[in-house]
Amino acid sequence: MSQQISGGEAFTSISPAEFFYRNRQMAGFGNPTLAVYSTVRELVENSLDACDDSGRLPVVTVDITTKDSDAVSVTVSDNGTGVPYEHVAEAFGRVLFGNKYSARQRRGTFGLGATMAALYGQVTTDCPLEVHTQTEESTGKAYRLFIDIEHNVPVVETVADLGREGPGTSVTVHLKGDFKRAQDRVLEYLRMTSVASPHARLLLRVNAVPQAEFGPWTDTPPRPTTASKPHPRGADVELLKRMISGNSEKRLKDFLTGSFQQIGDRTASRLLRYMCLDPRKSVGSFTREEVSLLSAALRSFDGFNRPEADCLSPLGKEVFLTSVGATFEVSFSTYSRRGPSDWDGNPFIIEGVLAIGTGLPPSEVPTLYRFANRVPLLYDSSEDVFMKSLKKIDWTRYGLTASQPVSVFIHLCSTRVPYRAAGKQSIAPIPEIEAEALPLFREMGRAFSKSAEKIARSAHDIKKLREFAKSFRMVAGFGAALAESEPPSTDHLVASLFEVNDNV
Amino acid sequence: MSDATDPQNALTLLGRRVVQSIIEGSFPTLEIPDRSTENIVFDPDQRQFVLGGSRVVRNSSNIRHVKSFAQLLWTAYFAKELLKASRTSSLRDLYYSSEAFGVKFTDQSESDRVVTDLESLIGLAREDFGVFPEEHSSVYGQVTMRYTVPGYDGREVELTVSPDGLPIGPALMTAEPVRTGAEIVLAVESGGMFGRLIETRAWERFKAILVQLGGQPPRSTRRLLRRFHEVLGLPVYIFTDGDPWGMHIAQVIITGSANAAHVRGLTVPDAKWIGVTPADINNYSLPTEQMNDADLKRLDELTQDLRYTGSIWQEHIRGFRELRRKAEQQAFSRYGMDYVVDTYLPDKLH
Repeated sequence: MSQQISGGEAFTSISPAEFFYRNRQMAGFGNPTLAVYSTVRELVENSLDACDDSGRLPVVTVDITTKDSDAVSVTVSDNGTGVPYEHVAEAFGRVLFGNKYSARQRRGTFGLGATMAALYGQVTTDCPLEVHTQTEESTGKAYRLFIDIEHNVPVVETVADLGREGPGTSVTVHLKGDFKRAQDRVLEYLRMTSVASPHARLLLRVNAVPQAEFGPWTDTPPRPTTASKPHPRGADVELLKRMISGNSEKRLKDFLTGSFQQIGDRTASRLLRYMCLDPRKSVGSFTREEVSLLSAALRSFDGFNRPEADCLSPLGKEVFLTSVGATFEVSFSTYSRRGPSDWDGNPFIIEGVLAIGTGLPPSEVPTLYRFANRVPLLYDSSEDVFMKSLKKIDWTRYGLTASQPVSVFIHLCSTRVPYRAAGKQSIAPIPEIEAEALPLFREMGRAFSKSAEKIARSAHDIKKLREFAKSFRMVAGFGAALAESEPPSTDHLVASLFEVNDNV
Repeated sequence: MSDATDPQNALTLLGRRVVQSIIEGSFPTLEIPDRSTENIVFDPDQRQFVLGGSRVVRNSSNIRHVKSFAQLLWTAYFAKELLKASRTSSLRDLYYSSEAFGVKFTDQSESDRVVTDLESLIGLAREDFGVFPEEHSSVYGQVTMRYTVPGYDGREVELTVSPDGLPIGPALMTAEPVRTGAEIVLAVESGGMFGRLIETRAWERFKAILVQLGGQPPRSTRRLLRRFHEVLGLPVYIFTDGDPWGMHIAQVIITGSANAAHVRGLTVPDAKWIGVTPADINNYSLPTEQMNDADLKRLDELTQDLRYTGSIWQEHIRGFRELRRKAEQQAFSRYGMDYVVDTYLPDKLH
């Protein structure tokens, strides 16, 4: 990563595209197996986001074609909004371009994923990215495009008019990859995706042969989220600079009230007194020091309300329990939720399901399934904030024993998910998140231990019923033997007795 | 053979009642006379303790009752099978037989209790339906009995036939006393004393039929004592250890036990306890042991017991309380092997 500087060599700058290609393991393209998995994942997430924007229930099809041992084509098609033609080239052919900078819950974060897949495919196979898209207003076009890595600009090779069955987008990436080894991971990814996006129908086809289908488990689409202005506590210097560049002529106070949430006139006045900056000065004239002073003040001022949570879309109790129950054989499940809270001005909600069932793997601590903004996280669990919190809980206190098939599904919703790396596989140990995770786990543990008592009680009742029925059959049997008659049926009497008991 | 006093018929009627109730869609219930000591009263006519009017209801719809309800009906069924086959069974045998039918008893005391439930429910003694206790008591003396059991019907036996005495089992219990050369019946608590009295020919000297009680005697033994008394007109004397337990053995023979207060024909109201009394312990300077907590507690219980309201009994209890010591029958041996026969018994029997 660090460039060696030696005599005779000139300083050079590299484009974001080149940077990410050089550090592709950061984005999850480190080896041929991961590359296939990450390609599927990035494209599916883009598709699901596009569908949620359109308000339609997503139908996402993953087509894998294996040409020879190490060449793979991945096509992901959706029924989403489609991409307006003027944006196609930029959206897919330029690193760090996208519509995901506003503060709302999205699956993708950096505007990097699909382009990274295209970049990796182009470098390994020298094939262009194929995009076939159609919006409500258009009739459909098929693109073939390359990325000029050095300059981070898209190069459209061909465009052709081509109709689709309806609005939506299909993206095909040709890449060197190992699908055989990635297959299990891809299947697991789709299965888990259907847990966190239970309104979607997900299909996997390999060489045109249907392999798997998941969902939909519910016909209710997630509540549409509204993008919100940034919260002042999240105003780092970079964000401030970007915001100032669009509002350079505004005076400081107007800039604050107009650009951030939770700052009205009164809060702005108090804030301005607190940070000793001239409220009438236009923000465009701020020096670097002043911007950084402003940022520090915004982040340390404790007079803001917590951020609004309209921009978040948790699964909710009904849907989460349903999707876990549809994906695993579950005999008991309980739902809990914490938040909204915030970390650095980013609102978040944590929701979880603790489930017991024969279809789940048994282990000493509950098996953890992690989700962030409806995306399943399958790798690097050991460093994850939720795994660390899970291990801090003494689960035996809640009656959990080794060999019990208990699993915990955790979903973090936030306008910004603090991933530990661009590969988006584990969540950084943010103290505010951990502070909510622990009580969430405990709450679910308590619900479990309550139900365990109930299960034990009902098992006891069933045992008692059986013993009673057996004894009573003997009463009838020996009575009949004494009377030298046929034993009368006892079922209705026993049943009537226990119905009465149930109502008590 | 169709009235309720015929054991087989009584058991059949019990079964019919249970089946009828189930067919009619209601849970069968049984009313059993309450056998707790609070419910025994003295019947002056019969001169024995009998059960009062209190009853316990066993309801098969009650989860806590249904198991013992089933046990009771199995016991009735088992008894009926015994009667049909003219067989007998011991209480222990009955306890083990239950397992073959999937009926579970925690221990023999539970099955014994259920047998007693059945007795008081249908008003017949267990011997009437062929269930006998283990034999642990014996009889010896100049008396001739005639058997009534199948296979031995009409045969006679003289009870000095074995120097060890004869065990009192179902056959002897139902046998008829025919003739005797004895003038008294002497019931002794321990096997050791019983053997001593046979060896020393004390039975000849006192003209006594000797009965070994073996601790608290089984009902068959008490029944036999009563028959000797009723049929042969012999007075009954009881010789036990000098402690509350020995005294109570005598009391049960005389007035009956709470547990068998529902059964008639077991008591000998005219029988006498000759000792060892607290007074004997002093008068004969017998070697004694300190009473333990259980002994003292038993004395307290007996003080409250209806059967001990008589002034003589109260005096015995007071005597034991003051002594706080107890003596066994064998304590007389300190004065030599024959002292009890040569000195003590002549004193007490005349």
